[in-house]
Amino acid sequence: MGSAARLQGATKRFGAVWALEGVDFELAPGEIHGLLGENGAGKTTLARVVAGLLTPEAGRVEIGGREVRLGSAAEARALGVAMVHQHFSLVPRFTGFENVVLFNAEAWTPHGGVRAGYRERIEARAAELGLPVELDVPVERMGVADRQRIEILKALMGETRVLLLDEPTAVLAPQEVEGLFAVLRRVAAAGTGIVLVAHKLDEVLAAADRVTVLRRGRWVLTREAAAVTARELADAMVGARSPGSGPRDAAGAGPRLEGAAGAGPSDDEQRRPPRHTPEPPIVAELRDVAAVSAGGAGLRGVSLAVRRGEILGIAGVGGNGQRTLAAVLAGLQAPDEGNAALPDEVGWIPQERDGEGLVNGFTIAENVALAVHVKGAYRKGVWFDWAAVEEAAAVLVGQMDVRSGAPGVAAGTLSGGNQQKMVAGREFLRSGELLVAESPTRGLDVKATVAVRERIRALAREGGRRPGIVLISADLDEILEQSDRIAVMVRGRLIPVPPEDHNPAAIGELMLAVRG
Amino acid sequence: MSNPPGFARFRADLRPVLGAATALVATTAIAATLLALGGHSPGAAFGALVRGAFGSWHNFVSVTLVQATPLLLTGLAVALAFRARVWNIGAEGQLHAGALAGVAVAVSLPLGSPFLVLPATLLAAAAAGALWAAVPAAMKTRMGVGEVITTLLMNFVALFLAQFLVQGPLRESRGALPQTDAIPAAAQLPVLIPGSRLHLGFLIGILIAVALWLYLARTPGGFRIRAVGASPRAAEVSGRFRTGPVIWRAFLASGAIAGLAGWIQISGITHRMYENLSPGWGYTAIAVALLARLHPLAAVLTAIVFGALSAGGAAMQREAGVPDAWVRGIEALVILAVLAVDRGLQAFSDKTAAGATSRRAETGTAAGRV
Repeated sequence: MGSAARLQGATKRFGAVWALEGVDFELAPGEIHGLLGENGAGKTTLARVVAGLLTPEAGRVEIGGREVRLGSAAEARALGVAMVHQHFSLVPRFTGFENVVLFNAEAWTPHGGVRAGYRERIEARAAELGLPVELDVPVERMGVADRQRIEILKALMGETRVLLLDEPTAVLAPQEVEGLFAVLRRVAAAGTGIVLVAHKLDEVLAAADRVTVLRRGRWVLTREAAAVTARELADAMVGARSPGSGPRDAAGAGPRLEGAAGAGPSDDEQRRPPRHTPEPPIVAELRDVAAVSAGGAGLRGVSLAVRRGEILGIAGVGGNGQRTLAAVLAGLQAPDEGNAALPDEVGWIPQERDGEGLVNGFTIAENVALAVHVKGAYRKGVWFDWAAVEEAAAVLVGQMDVRSGAPGVAAGTLSGGNQQKMVAGREFLRSGELLVAESPTRGLDVKATVAVRERIRALAREGGRRPGIVLISADLDEILEQSDRIAVMVRGRLIPVPPEDHNPAAIGELMLAVRG
Repeated sequence: MSNPPGFARFRADLRPVLGAATALVATTAIAATLLALGGHSPGAAFGALVRGAFGSWHNFVSVTLVQATPLLLTGLAVALAFRARVWNIGAEGQLHAGALAGVAVAVSLPLGSPFLVLPATLLAAAAAGALWAAVPAAMKTRMGVGEVITTLLMNFVALFLAQFLVQGPLRESRGALPQTDAIPAAAQLPVLIPGSRLHLGFLIGILIAVALWLYLARTPGGFRIRAVGASPRAAEVSGRFRTGPVIWRAFLASGAIAGLAGWIQISGITHRMYENLSPGWGYTAIAVALLARLHPLAAVLTAIVFGALSAGGAAMQREAGVPDAWVRGIEALVILAVLAVDRGLQAFSDKTAAGATSRRAETGTAAGRV
């Protein structure tokens, strides 16, 4: 049997971010293929490449055995590829019927009318698929599940060989998810290959025939859903290595120092920094902090303490309150409840480099000035002391090993890793007390990742001013490699992980809330 | 992927100059073609234009530079606002507000000495311009209403208010014409070069240009304006300051400078307020600012270019019989050519500098260089 869709060696980068690196993927006709991975793993990118909505730098796309021109959405559609986006593409003012018609050119008459009998065809198709839809209600007055059904119906009106659904369950209640899966099974039974992009494990396992896991833009595994456990998938998603794929402990990762409650020293570690008799002072402390957030999850009863020179790793699937935690720690958001004892200035390496962490069009010196322009040391009366800023920038470039950097170089010309090293150095310049690093290596290639991690660790370990560092990351490798202590963020709560559980399986389980 | 930084910097610095020059050459070519098509001799027309603008000491100082003065002030106002990503299209209205306030103070307050009258009227004009800008500023920062629309609409309010006042309450005591009484001699700006019409206002414009340049390049406050203009979100997250006050500051300062332009024109040249005081300086100011890539010092040059165009345009009309509409058309062509050439050059240099990665090195026009 041929394949419904095949992708070979797909490589796509956005600026300095590798969204896909040489990914192969195959979709069989009539199968539901779960596509799993963390945020930013490349799932959506893969789906969009198949749909011709993105042009990869390299790779081959075949639909039904025929090679298609890369990045041609029209060609992909003509061959029967349809995509249901995470953010629906419906006209809010139009009714369900009008939206279905709008998307399907075969419904149109040359004079702007709708072909006779097309409405009946829609109704018949909806009945066939078991999709209860309201055709005469404007989409803006529908609930999310109703909108999604319109979106699916609209995609399935023509001959559909490949149906791509991007996080279709994210907006649905559990009962609605069941209904959706029932529809998908019927669609698949008719021979359509379905790609189901998701990051909730149990759901994918319930619906899919096969599962593919991506991580950091790379293919990790493809398995029959029946032959794989949630645990295995969780490990693959967060980056725990399967046995025999590499000596992880030799690389210095693994359990580390003291536990959350200051438990006694564990003696199975040889690479521990020398222990000081007095414990280093606490630089930041949160007690029972609650905070609401406009976008994602807020915080509920979060307590933590960070000591000078230590790295506190906060693992968790993105969107569980990490953003709010960072904003509270950085002093940009006041807690609604509880106490926060924070240094006057806190360094924050934000998740987005471009547009948050730095200004591309500014020079390195100007980007450094973003952090120091209020500090007296960089002023001469009313004037900026640019010489001092440039000197600090030059020192920073050397210290953080920012390649091809100089104070006068535009930040936009640096590679992603060097940009991040610059941001890290600048935030350290802002505060020697507390640094919050939010997914600092997201989207970086392997070499840059290693370099950035090295620099961040060096900040905590070396030199006179050793700040406490809160490392927030969905990447378990990073958390395990870098952290002295680890906690997991789940739905706004912070769960400390005892040192004996500093392993991928135990943390992965907490992160994904997989029990048993 | 590594660029030689020195060369990149050099090319980046050269680009605006190259862009402006290319725009001017392109415009000249197009304008010549159009003139020829319209049955005028391009040679004669351009000859008249150049003579009118630069042909004599008198033409340059008393016509070109005098015409350049309100363009310089409004151009600086626009450039400052645009640097903060505040799209102030309302320099025209702020200019009228300033003119009215200056005249009102000049004719109503018996201050006597020029050393009192001039500062008082200049202050009043700046305050009125700032006040006119404060309305859109409040609507933008408090209600999120786009300033392009509000500043534009405030222009009409100011224009009609000025019309009403010079026809009614502020009409001259003779009552003959819709204009105000002449301002007292003490309220008139002194002439800069004896025997010419060039007044102190031109010098004020240059001083403001230098001050703005120093402010943007060398002070923390100016840096914040540039940061907000380059990336409001990065300003909040990495700069740790609120963008609202910065936007207010840019808006008010921009309005104040535009307000000065109106009163300075009256105080230095017309000595009265009347209807249609401005032939659209507040709009041409946008071209002045953009051609200068929002750089205050470059705005001095571009204001003179547009002043020359205005002076030469009049000569073209007189000597070569080219209608005024052509001259206006050429001005519009310059604006279009500047934008097109600027974007074209940017796209080109992105391609060559970043190679396959096609990373954008600069974001939009607001990220001009100081």
